[in-house]
Amino acid sequence: MRLADISFNNLRRRKSKMVFVILGLAIGVATVVALFSITAAMRDDLQDKIDQFGANIVIVPQASELSLSYGTIVVSGVSYDVKELSQEDVPRIKTIAFSGNIATIAPKLLGAVQAKGAGESRALLVGVDFPAELRMKKWWEINGAAPSREGEVLLGSRAAGVLMSRPGDALIIDGRKFTVSGVLKETGLQEDSVLYVELSAAQALLGKPSRLSLIEVSALCKACPIEDIVEQISGVLPNAKVSALQQAWKARRQTVDQLTNFSLAVSAVVLAIGAMIVLTTMMSSVKERTREIGIFRAIGFRRMHIARIILLEALVLGVAGGVLGWLAGVVVSSLTAPYVAQTAVTVNWNPALAALAVGLSAMVGLGSSIYPAMQAANLDPAEALRFI
Amino acid sequence: MALIDIRGVSKTYDSNGCVVQALKGIDLSIDEGELVAMMGPSGSGKSTLLSILGAMNPPTTGTVLVDGIDLYGLSVEKRADFRHEYIGFVFQQLQLIPYLTAVENVLLPLAISKRPHREQEAMAFWALGRVGLEDKARRLPNQLSGGEQERVAVARAIVNEPPLILADEPTGSLDTQTGEEVMRLFQSLNEDGLTIVLVTHNPENIRFVGRTIRIRDGRIAS
Repeated sequence: MRLADISFNNLRRRKSKMVFVILGLAIGVATVVALFSITAAMRDDLQDKIDQFGANIVIVPQASELSLSYGTIVVSGVSYDVKELSQEDVPRIKTIAFSGNIATIAPKLLGAVQAKGAGESRALLVGVDFPAELRMKKWWEINGAAPSREGEVLLGSRAAGVLMSRPGDALIIDGRKFTVSGVLKETGLQEDSVLYVELSAAQALLGKPSRLSLIEVSALCKACPIEDIVEQISGVLPNAKVSALQQAWKARRQTVDQLTNFSLAVSAVVLAIGAMIVLTTMMSSVKERTREIGIFRAIGFRRMHIARIILLEALVLGVAGGVLGWLAGVVVSSLTAPYVAQTAVTVNWNPALAALAVGLSAMVGLGSSIYPAMQAANLDPAEALRFI
Repeated sequence: MALIDIRGVSKTYDSNGCVVQALKGIDLSIDEGELVAMMGPSGSGKSTLLSILGAMNPPTTGTVLVDGIDLYGLSVEKRADFRHEYIGFVFQQLQLIPYLTAVENVLLPLAISKRPHREQEAMAFWALGRVGLEDKARRLPNQLSGGEQERVAVARAIVNEPPLILADEPTGSLDTQTGEEVMRLFQSLNEDGLTIVLVTHNPENIRFVGRTIRIRDGRIAS
């Protein structure tokens, strides 16, 4: 016989109470696992949406200049000591440590041009890398097609109206002939007034070979903070000013933080209830077993032996509650998440989460049994056996 | 040779605000191999003396030597070790663990020894055989008669082969015939060389013991 046999035998004898404790712990763990899974899924989902929404980092040439804009009114400012971005800067971005988190790099060259179709106007020309631009701007809807070669142009809806051009029409830009491949549906943004051409075509038209006006970067920020990516890009592009689009990022972080805090608070409350259930059950168990513990002490069990019997029971209950709670949590989260979070949660058989759930439950079980175990261990055998 | 030597033992305790003097300067020697009964009316202090002798209840004054060891000079944990090695208890009111079978109850004192499982089982079955219950080893206490439960308690007390058995009212809850059987069992164990001290208030038991110590009002009367 071992001390463990005494613990297991006692657990078997007090089945209904032990089931009650296991259920108490399991509900606590299931809540933690479900909240954890749902908030993790919401965080990922939110992040994916933000990442898909567009650029979250903008790189512009560094210049000593004060911004002279207020609202939508821009006043020409004085720039001096302007550094320039070049096409060689693009591959450098991919050399940063977090390069795996860079989803898309969209370089651009901006310039004013004279455009002439059926109508004529000065317009803003933007040279872009179309595959990258289309990946980043998933909300673009094109009537026609995106340019696939250098002699094609994509028009913003308002630009197409002013120039009275439709897909297939010819358009003269600064004396060079282009074909309109498509027209963007109205977005309500600045891009409605823009003429988009291939980057190399824009560089040739504007007489700025290899030059770039700005680079937009879409970074996936699930695994790392965006500040780190910004810092790393600044490291490889010392002549550039790299900025995170703080608003979107902060809003995201705030939302995720709120979710996390909410989950932590609920988890703490539920686990505290679980701990109280264990504590009261173990206390009453120790009280019921006073004479039994007195016998153990009388026949030579040390205090440590008594504590080990009680704590082993608590550990078994904790582990059982943890396993059951984890299973329930995974099932509950996958069933309820679509309604609660309005997002699909993939059933997470993550062994780390399982280990965390079981470990947490075992800790709660053990932690809340320390006091009852100490009480049992310190029982005076003479008093327990009513010799006094 | 005295196995037990008690000198000037008194015990005072607080009972609901009243100071009760349970024992008043007890001097007592019990030789190795004796079968001794302590008799006295309820509240005379005999059970208190037994618990002091059993290294469970420190006296207010006095010394208790067993096999030359000053019990209350030992730490609490050392006293637990002493109980494990030296004493087999038979408690009042059939103190078996209800969720353990007869053999598991007998195995209890061995649970904290480092003996291999097979050796433990052999010792437990030897002890059950000694009290004539080998065939009921796998029964739970509630499947045994009062006398059988008492004998399981005796088997548990002797399984570790301690030199001293202490029994508190071992026949108190048994009918006359079963009580006599249990007393004969104690006699037989005593013949094997065990020193046995038992507390009883049943005068019928006197004929089975070698010496009777009468306790009245916390003192040895005779």
